[in-house]
Amino acid sequence: MVATHPAPPHVAAAPDHVARRHRTAWVLTAPALVLMIVILLAPVVIATALSFSNYSLGNSGFDWVGARNYEKLFTRSTYAKMFIATLTYVATVVPISVGLGLGAALLINTLGRFREVYKTIYFLPVMATLLAMAIAWEFMLHPSIGMINRTLEMGCGTVLERLWPFLSTGCADGFPVWLGDKRYAIWVICFIGIWQGFGFNMVLYLAGLTAVHRELYHAAEIDGAKSGWDRFRLVTWPALGPTTVFVVTISCIRAFQVFDTVEAFWPQGGGPNKSTYVMMFAIFEKGVQQNLIGIGSAITVLFLIFVMFLTLIQRWLVERKVHYG
Amino acid sequence: MAGLSIDKITKRFGETEVLRQVSLDIADGEFVSLVGPSGCGKSTLLRIVAGLETQCAGDIRIGGQSVAGLRAADRNLSMVFQSYALYPHLSVGQNIAVPLRMRRLRGMQRLPVLGRFMPGARALARDIDQEVDRAAQMLEIGHLLHRKPGQLSGGQRQRVALGRALVRDPAAFLLDEPLSNLDAKLRVQTRTEIAELHRRLAATFIYVTHDQVEAMTMSDRIAVMMGGRILQCAAPHVVYDDPDTIEVAEFIGSPKINILPVELDGDGRVSLLDRDLGLVARNAPRGGASLGLRPEALRLASGGDAPLRGHVAHIENLGSELFAQVEVPGLGRRVTLRAAAQQRAALGLGTPVGLSFDRELALLFDASGARLRGITRAAPARVEVA
Ligand SMILES: Nc1ncnc2c1ncn2[C@@H]1O[C@H](COP(=O)(O)OP(=O)(O)OP(=O)(O)O)[C@@H](O)[C@H]1O
Ligand SMILES: [Mg+2]
Repeated sequence: MVATHPAPPHVAAAPDHVARRHRTAWVLTAPALVLMIVILLAPVVIATALSFSNYSLGNSGFDWVGARNYEKLFTRSTYAKMFIATLTYVATVVPISVGLGLGAALLINTLGRFREVYKTIYFLPVMATLLAMAIAWEFMLHPSIGMINRTLEMGCGTVLERLWPFLSTGCADGFPVWLGDKRYAIWVICFIGIWQGFGFNMVLYLAGLTAVHRELYHAAEIDGAKSGWDRFRLVTWPALGPTTVFVVTISCIRAFQVFDTVEAFWPQGGGPNKSTYVMMFAIFEKGVQQNLIGIGSAITVLFLIFVMFLTLIQRWLVERKVHYG
Repeated sequence: MAGLSIDKITKRFGETEVLRQVSLDIADGEFVSLVGPSGCGKSTLLRIVAGLETQCAGDIRIGGQSVAGLRAADRNLSMVFQSYALYPHLSVGQNIAVPLRMRRLRGMQRLPVLGRFMPGARALARDIDQEVDRAAQMLEIGHLLHRKPGQLSGGQRQRVALGRALVRDPAAFLLDEPLSNLDAKLRVQTRTEIAELHRRLAATFIYVTHDQVEAMTMSDRIAVMMGGRILQCAAPHVVYDDPDTIEVAEFIGSPKINILPVELDGDGRVSLLDRDLGLVARNAPRGGASLGLRPEALRLASGGDAPLRGHVAHIENLGSELFAQVEVPGLGRRVTLRAAAQQRAALGLGTPVGLSFDRELALLFDASGARLRGITRAAPARVEVA
């Protein structure tokens, strides 16, 4: 190629010029690159390195322990409980908070007048500090003086007792100690997670709904889509595809990060029989409270892998499935 | 297929009255255009016919049956929207199949994967595929069936929207400015195709447009709407040659008709700029009136007998013909004249010209804008010199 095409005269000066431009480009990108490496990449690399060591803060030296930290993660029953608690929480909170968010958005979208009022009410728990809310919940869930068990007690002796077995056993043997019972603890955490999170999803869905082309509903009506469900399937749901992918991803990541409620209810130990020993709490307990940086880092790396995986799925879905370009 | 009749439809949005007692009868198989300036209520009327909007008063009958209280899905009409309103997540084939699937398959049979295994679904799906293919062949979009609407050009999308409308056998087709998103060349081509499609299907079409050329070229009849009323509904040549009001005359025709202020005396003699034009309007009150002259009714005249004199102010050359705008002193507005291409030499900018007109083609309107008919030629009167 080069031999057959005689070089145009101005090329002689080019290499110098190109090199200068390259240098300028590097100089200009350097600050951003340095910041990215220092703030984003370095911590990940360091955490990964530490996860192969037995380092603790304050010790002068440490040893490389190979994959032993990871081995512990996959063999000890405490960590099995951690995975179960985390996955139970994610698998419960994500679908329900996304579903409720969508349902609330669809309902509010049909409203004329009280729209803003409803929006604000549902969004309140999102804005409230979860730690403060957890204290309120703790009072409500108190086994003897809590509002929830008091309310349930009012049902004793009425016809409800016959219709609802849970109530009759409660009246006979006492109502659950919500936060102290390993059968209920994780579900209480899930409930609070949903209560706190679905308003956020609702707002995202409301934004998504404004982008649905009104004429499509008219077209669907003309095409014979008579029921609300038909119109939802034909127009609304496909149009909300990108929003749904985003909402699910955000909800997943937030669910993986659940920490405040567990820390507020059970500052020591992650719930009755470790039934609410979620990943974030484990990282906090190992890495901060017990100063076992190695194992804490190993959980962190695992956590990062989960989140990365979710993000990759989201990118793939957005590019392949829901952008109808 | 069926005829359609619109009976004294009134529509208000809050305080503003958008449609005022609009009535229109459309015969079976007829192509009627609703044409009018932006905001005159064309789309609103079409959407009321479709059942997407409810009227405040009046009635719609399809095939003689009132459709009051019948929802859009039950009116058996097809509609093409200005934005095409294709379902972005469905392929072209699936888009065209939607009206058939919605009407023929039951809820369970429409389920994404399971639906195929429901009893009877397979045979129905095969029929639907065949009909989709047939519609696609007719519009020559067979090779696009697997694409998504986002991967199509404007013209192709427009065809898909048409395909979705004609895959069924509706009582009537409603089209709301289906060509307004296309470029000029494609618009001309698609215009012809829609007109031919109408001839082939022999179906009832209501076609909304604000482009009077589209209305003129495609329709059996044109309904000119303005301010929520139908001013005139007649065949294109009637609306053009014999408009009922000055608004219709001004709206239809491009370039616009020349409207000149004239005076009627007690005998109905018409004079322009104090010159007698040799026209008599019988039974007309004396006073101010308007004379409408289409550009092709005017011609160049030499000599002193030309009723209008002025100089050429601007020329638009279209190749086959040209339009000259002539500034006439005392008139306050320019007069547009159509001339043959050969006359270009005589029409240099600033050239003084004389204009006369074809008295047969002159249209006279009274002060309120209503047409004055029954104009006769007067014997040329003595020129009264002031
Ligand atoms: N939902 C509505 N609420 C209030 N006013 C409306 C509504 N829809 C239409 N209008 C008004 O009704 C009038 C007629 O609207 P319409 O859409 O029928 O006009 P159009 O003739 O189709 O105009 P265009 O050529 O621009 O499409 C307009 O003045 C518009 O502002
Ligand atoms: Mg319109």
